Amino acid sequence: MDFRPSPAQRLLVSTARDFLQHHCPIELVQRLVLDERGFDEALWRSMAELGWPGLLIPSALGGSGGSLVDVVLLVEEMGRACLPGPFVTSAVAATAVLLAAASKAQQKRLLPALAAGERIATLALVEESASFDPGAVALECDAPGRVTGRKLFVKDAHVADDLIVLVRGPGDLSLVLLPADRTGIVRLPLDTASGERLFEVTFDGVEVRADDLLGPAGRGRELLAPALRAGALARTAEMVGAAQRVLELAVEHAKTRVQGGRPIGGYQAIQHACADLVRDVDASRGLLYAAAWKVAEGDSAEADVAMAKAYASEACLRVARRGHQIFGAISYCEEHPLHLFHERIQAASLDFGDAGLQLETVARALGLA
Amino acid sequence: MDFTLTAEEEGFAEGVRRFLRDHPPERFPIDGMDAGYGSGAHSRAFLQALAGQGWLAMCWPKAHGGEARPMFFKLVLMEEMARAGAPFGPLAGCWQTADAIIGFGTERLRREVLPEIARGEATFWQGYSEPDAGSDLLALKTQARRDGDHWVIRGHKIWSSHAGISRYGLVFARTSHQARRSRGFSMFVVPNRTPGMDIRPIRSLTGEVYHYEVFLDDVRVPENLMLGPEGEGFLALLNGLDADRFWGRFYKAPALERVLHQLVDYANATVVRGGPLARDAAVRRRLAEMAADIAALRLMFYRAACLLRDGGPVTYETAVAKVMADETGQKLARLGMDLLGLWGPLREGSRWAKLGGQISRVYLTSLGHTIAGGTAEILRTAVAVRGLGLPAEPKGR
Ligand SMILES: Cc1cc2nc3c(=O)[nH]c(=O)nc-3n(C[C@H](O)[C@H](O)[C@H](O)COP(=O)(O)OP(=O)(O)OC[C@H]3O[C@@H](n4cnc5c(N)ncnc54)[C@H](O)[C@@H]3O)c2cc1C
Repeated sequence: MDFRPSPAQRLLVSTARDFLQHHCPIELVQRLVLDERGFDEALWRSMAELGWPGLLIPSALGGSGGSLVDVVLLVEEMGRACLPGPFVTSAVAATAVLLAAASKAQQKRLLPALAAGERIATLALVEESASFDPGAVALECDAPGRVTGRKLFVKDAHVADDLIVLVRGPGDLSLVLLPADRTGIVRLPLDTASGERLFEVTFDGVEVRADDLLGPAGRGRELLAPALRAGALARTAEMVGAAQRVLELAVEHAKTRVQGGRPIGGYQAIQHACADLVRDVDASRGLLYAAAWKVAEGDSAEADVAMAKAYASEACLRVARRGHQIFGAISYCEEHPLHLFHERIQAASLDFGDAGLQLETVARALGLA
Repeated sequence: MDFTLTAEEEGFAEGVRRFLRDHPPERFPIDGMDAGYGSGAHSRAFLQALAGQGWLAMCWPKAHGGEARPMFFKLVLMEEMARAGAPFGPLAGCWQTADAIIGFGTERLRREVLPEIARGEATFWQGYSEPDAGSDLLALKTQARRDGDHWVIRGHKIWSSHAGISRYGLVFARTSHQARRSRGFSMFVVPNRTPGMDIRPIRSLTGEVYHYEVFLDDVRVPENLMLGPEGEGFLALLNGLDADRFWGRFYKAPALERVLHQLVDYANATVVRGGPLARDAAVRRRLAEMAADIAALRLMFYRAACLLRDGGPVTYETAVAKVMADETGQKLARLGMDLLGLWGPLREGSRWAKLGGQISRVYLTSLGHTIAGGTAEILRTAVAVRGLGLPAEPKGR
């Protein structure tokens, strides 16, 4: 048993923390949330220079061949900085799909560009059922053929070059990769309280070619599974990082805000709230690391990932809500950063399967009838 | 990172599992109540069976009769025993006392008491709390005064778990009056049969005897039974309490897992409204949530264990983990009572009792856990002040 990241991983974390402190201060996050596009090209390019989008991609394809533990450690720092943008969508989840499902030729065409940050890919999975359960997918499509219908909650579709779409074909589910600008595809923004860029993507008689298929037809469910787990772990890491930051901000506030002649952190009501923040963050992180490590070791660790995501969803949201209570009215302001972290945790808790869906996975693993 | 046991630890775990299969825990006679921490009842016979395997002293230095095995072997042993529901109640206290004796005990303690621990004969009660000194331990009034090469102890201890069935008491008493409130306390290892000691049982809410109160009426103790330097007992005690939190709760997660699996079986086997209770969406969700809580708890303890093993600073980790253990246990107990409904309060041995009538015991005993060994409030304060550096609240005096 060893909870410590390796020296290389510690370097990755300290580089990331340093970089994000300088290039992604909270003022930038504020600005991007209010900005219509919400995407900072320059920041994305500098991240690409650090090799981050290629972290999961093998070096032969232009990446650095990192593990899911590396990804989790990096994304934790991103959560801590509340970094907005398509990193998890493109560099973790979509990349994981391509690694699992794409042909050699498709990988050669796409992965080096993704690794260099020159291409961005997103996933179009969810429909009006509002569920990440693949079984809920209804959108029908043959390859070759045409597709008409819609996907919902597609993240960062406006900056994506490629859409990975989960469809119901003959047999079972299939994955297809469509260029975002193919005729008949329209991306309509949803207005969110979370600052996340989510889209409705409509398909109107869109042509799907045989070579748009990712992997064999009818194998979508199993080919998608590792990407769903990677996405769930990355969003859990984001929650843990954001919650860690809320904890740090709240403790700092508790030490400096004076009421009744002493810092509010000298009152037990506030002290005990802070102690619970520590518990929630530490416990979430433990499950996260253990699950990511198991996956990186080649175990599917389905129940571990599900527990990590479900636990962090509850615990980190609790951290955010108590954070507001510790800050008092000041945290009610748009200008104050706390709500940004809170909304990020909220959004991350829903992505790649909310606590309800994850707990169903846990329930089955427990052997419940 | 690495979240597995080493091959050596795994091999030891296998050995422990084999031992537990060959010596079914339920066959050992029980001397004292299971207080629900996960370490089972007080069974000297079981302790002696462990001694027979050489497991009680395995982590002590060779000079003290041990085999100098790494600390993780103790964790492996406890985890396997808790999973099997074995009655190793006094073990954590024995190990801690042994560590203190090895660390700063007198020659006599090392010569006489350590071997008794290794043989599974000596168990210990902790004489800290008094009627007017609970969370505020330093308010205690028990005094020890020197008389030649003896100390004479006078006072009144309460809530001393298993005191009536242990061989020694660890009695914490004031040995001098000093300006600093935390100075002037010492610890004594007092044999239970010492004249002047009156040990009286207190019946617990389950109807069994667990606690005792102990009246010390000029109890004479030779000076070489003092544990640790005179007057410095409190600092030693504080360290001890830190360890107490860890070793007293490490096995809670595997023990809770055992109860959780019983509840899962119950939910699968119980039919409500024409289908298994396990199909009820709320029941599924609550049981799954408990599984995640318990997994998180286990990792909190392993993280603290790694810090202890690697000599890293441990400021708040054991306190957080203890509170979490106790509150997770209470949550599970509450869920268990909820699932059992009207069957819940039926006790062991009653007609119609479900799950051996154990769930109501789990429920009732769990109430004490957030009080014993530092209340949840005191520990949260410690986390905030020691761990996060928040300013301490002004003292009442
Ligand atoms: C199951 C069990 C086993 C035990 N075993 C032993 C044993 O073997 N040996 C032994 O010596 N003792 C033992 N105890 C006693 C235990 O150590 C005390 O109960 C504990 O320290 C609390 O003291 P108290 O019960 O007097 O409660 P009090 O200290 O009176 O506390 C009552 C309430 O007030 C709160 N409170 C008190 N002070 C503060 C403060 N400063 N700030 C905020 N809140 C505060 C507490 O958190 C609690 O909620 C055991 C207790 C139990 C329940």
